[in-house]
Amino acid sequence: MSYLTPKSTEEALALLGQAGADVLAGGTDFFPSRGTRPQTRSILDLGQIDSLRGIEKTARGWRIGAMTTWSQIQRADLPPAFDALKRAAREVGSVQIQNRGTIAGNLCNASPAADGVPPLLALNAEVEIGSPGATRRVALSDFVTGVRRVALSPGELVLAVHVPSLPDDAVSHFLKLGSRRYLVISIAMTAAVLELDGPRIATARVAVGACSPVAQRLPGLEAALVGLTAAEVAALPVVPETHLAPLAPIADVRGSAAYRMRAVADLCRRTVIAAMTGGTTDE
Amino acid sequence: MSLSIRLTINGAPRDIALEDARVTLLDLLRERLALPGTKKGCDRGQCGACTVIVNGKRVNSCLTLAATLDGAQVTTIEGLATGDRLHPVQEAFIEQDGFQCGYCTPGQIMSAVGLIAEGRAGDDPERIREGMSGNICRCAAYHGITLAVQEATRRMAEAEKGDAA
Repeated sequence: MSYLTPKSTEEALALLGQAGADVLAGGTDFFPSRGTRPQTRSILDLGQIDSLRGIEKTARGWRIGAMTTWSQIQRADLPPAFDALKRAAREVGSVQIQNRGTIAGNLCNASPAADGVPPLLALNAEVEIGSPGATRRVALSDFVTGVRRVALSPGELVLAVHVPSLPDDAVSHFLKLGSRRYLVISIAMTAAVLELDGPRIATARVAVGACSPVAQRLPGLEAALVGLTAAEVAALPVVPETHLAPLAPIADVRGSAAYRMRAVADLCRRTVIAAMTGGTTDE
Repeated sequence: MSLSIRLTINGAPRDIALEDARVTLLDLLRERLALPGTKKGCDRGQCGACTVIVNGKRVNSCLTLAATLDGAQVTTIEGLATGDRLHPVQEAFIEQDGFQCGYCTPGQIMSAVGLIAEGRAGDDPERIREGMSGNICRCAAYHGITLAVQEATRRMAEAEKGDAA
């Protein structure tokens, strides 16, 4: 095995094509995800490629470099539509993890409980994928295909996450339910990104994580929210089960399937209300 | 395969030859550099006992491959005191009884140093609890830890004010 430290994405892609190495980003899940299996393949460390770090405004939205850490996302100057993503960034493990863990690492690990995925789904994020001599873009909803499975071919590398422009007054929120306040793996989590028309919802995007193999948007609920005020959302008797149909929660040590469905229905409502009533990010 | 890296550890430059890229910073410190103050708790990023400061940021040394740190500045618990004078966070942990068995304490203290440097929690106990949540204390000395971080935050802010004046 060898340890490879490319200085550019071109070099990284060339090495990846030759060597068939395991990619190291922030490294916070590099050994833990292996369990007791030893690392025998070469390691391709992306840490020295400066162009993979940082967030920039583009003509059509925002580009978040693959190696951007969760701490950098929390501190970035971004419009309120990103509040959900910033809140999720605060929930990715501990600060020690947030200082090293990266946005692309979170997506590529493809944990059903990845904190970054619901807010990015609600932001209609796209994943920029590089291969030698080419790049392509895939909607995040098509990129994560299963538990720890993503639509990356051998030799491909995630270079960035793109978020299309939203109106400046779009709002968002993220809530995570765990068995204690901090440092938990989600029982369920919800992200909402809303465009408002005065006090009413003009468009809604709601995504749920940890309640299906891959985090899901809830189109039925999104459609039903259009036109409602925060008070009307609060007065909704229940979120109908048909709206939660994309979810398929499992029962595990963190909660039963039935509990997750009950919890997530209320979590959706609370997240939407908090987005509308200006749940602050404290930052 | 042999890799050579240069680290500045607690202010002293060290040239290190690594036979294997899989060595974590934690194992390097403890097994190779005779710096066993950094503790191995879970070895998977869940307990924070191995927290050190790398280039000004707190990280779990158990999850950090040493090979990735060529050129980095690393501060461990051994590097906090100035001669016999303890760091304000170390003093505050003693005064506020921020430990019982002591195993998690080096990680707690390094994490608190990182938290105070981040400057976002101030002396708000809830923000301190959130900021320190990556450090588990199985003796549950959390009350004393929170008081110690509050106390150290105030003392360091005052010292800074004094320096500025």
